Amino acid sequence: MHHIVLERWSRGASPLHRRDARAKMVALAVFLVALATAWRALPAFSLGIFAMLCGALLWARIPLGAALSRAAIVLPFTAVFAVISLATGDYQRGAAIVLKSYLSALAVLTVVATTPLPALLRGLERMGAPLFLLTVAQFLYRYLFVISEEAQHMRKAALARGSGRRMAARAVRFRAAAGALAVLFARSYGRAQEIHRAMLARGFSGHLHGLSTARFTAADAVFLAAATAAPLLLRLALEKAAA
Amino acid sequence: MHIPDGFLSTPVWAALDVAAVPAVGYMARRAQRGFDDSRIPLLGVMGAFVFAAQMINFPVGIGTSGHLVGGALLACTLGPAAASVVMAAILGIQALVFQDGGVLALGANVINMAVMGVLAGYLPFHLWGEGAWRKSAIFAGGVLSVLVSGALACSELLISGVPIPGAALGLSLGLFAVSGALEGAITVAVVSALETIQPGFVRKPREGRSFALGTLALAGLLLATVGALFASAAPDGLEHLSERIGIASKARTLVSTPFADYQATFLNSRWGSQAVAGLAGLALVYAACLLGGRLLARLKRSA
Repeated sequence: MHHIVLERWSRGASPLHRRDARAKMVALAVFLVALATAWRALPAFSLGIFAMLCGALLWARIPLGAALSRAAIVLPFTAVFAVISLATGDYQRGAAIVLKSYLSALAVLTVVATTPLPALLRGLERMGAPLFLLTVAQFLYRYLFVISEEAQHMRKAALARGSGRRMAARAVRFRAAAGALAVLFARSYGRAQEIHRAMLARGFSGHLHGLSTARFTAADAVFLAAATAAPLLLRLALEKAAA
Repeated sequence: MHIPDGFLSTPVWAALDVAAVPAVGYMARRAQRGFDDSRIPLLGVMGAFVFAAQMINFPVGIGTSGHLVGGALLACTLGPAAASVVMAAILGIQALVFQDGGVLALGANVINMAVMGVLAGYLPFHLWGEGAWRKSAIFAGGVLSVLVSGALACSELLISGVPIPGAALGLSLGLFAVSGALEGAITVAVVSALETIQPGFVRKPREGRSFALGTLALAGLLLATVGALFASAAPDGLEHLSERIGIASKARTLVSTPFADYQATFLNSRWGSQAVAGLAGLALVYAACLLGGRLLARLKRSA
């Protein structure tokens, strides 16, 4: 499955991977807000942001081409609105939508590709996000691959039994798909109960503990200061030049 | 239907982020009520199920197929609050891991799909989930969940000034109606299949009745309808409409009380003040959420 790639990237060992998740998330928020509120001198500013993100990806030794094309996932949706903007003669807005949505996705990807998701969620928890929601998200991510594989197996089995053939009426095939989904639902439900029993047997108290004790070091602080100052200074300089 | 970053204007995404935090917090507290920690793995695994369910295709017409969105199905089986939490977790994972939907726009997506979509999907089941109208109610729930999320997303884009011509707006609302009908049909088919497997999976509609949730669901429906009407009345964007009516100047001063037009006045220079104001706003929002959370926790402990 394709997102296993992201999992592999996030387990790297570059200086960027070693930074605390909190520092990276605050830097991400600054990047996103600076980008979202930018209007004057947007092309130059986006070029600068793009260069910074590419630099960060290279520094983290993440294959640049693959990352850039992964972030392009937002473009089909964006393209529709960009074309509409162009058709109504609003070139500036069309270009802004494309630039902002692509660069925002790239910024998020840069952080997620250098931070394993459990570390990211733990960072969010330390910043005060509700634990219940984070624990649900953690479980969701853990069992995403398991349940997805089960769905794929079921699909393959159904195809092997001839569900892809056009012989059956559409209503029959529709009902068969609904039945498959219901079975998947029941299996997932049962699996959740088994997981919970197994966790209770290991002393689960309603909270997941990690082994790593992430500390906010001086290096993290330096990184945070640099990563938040860079986009802001760039924007100040560009907008001063434009004004 | 996941709105990426870069589409919504700053007041819109900021306001919806601020609105989403207490909404999800409230849903999480309701989902935890009568707390039983077996709910945590259950909600997580059911979220994974919704992800995986998108791999099973339903034949629709010539060569096309659709898949489940899941809000209404989860609401009928896990209850509206738990369904909301699961959908919110799904949207978060989608925004982070799959770059599907923006991070700043996460609040908007959560409000559209996880809060309003789920509640609108639950409302018919809640009201007519028993007796002769049961199947129609489940179908209507599926339709409404998709329609409400779609209409809300459209009106948010319009308020942000993204130009959507009348034809495109009509087309997208039509698409929402078609995919809503599909969602309704899938939800009905899966619920009836589930009931033959194990009747206990589907909730009793009157279980855990709540006035607050009902009101919120009605408000969501109303908001979506008004948004759709408003959008069709102003196909070239809300700004245009407000200019025509002449409330633009008034509305501007109304919106901009804390940070005049998102430019901190104390930084008299024009450049860069926007970014500083935006960041200060974000920090304020964060602080408010943190304080609110602490306060709630303390109240709960003392109660």
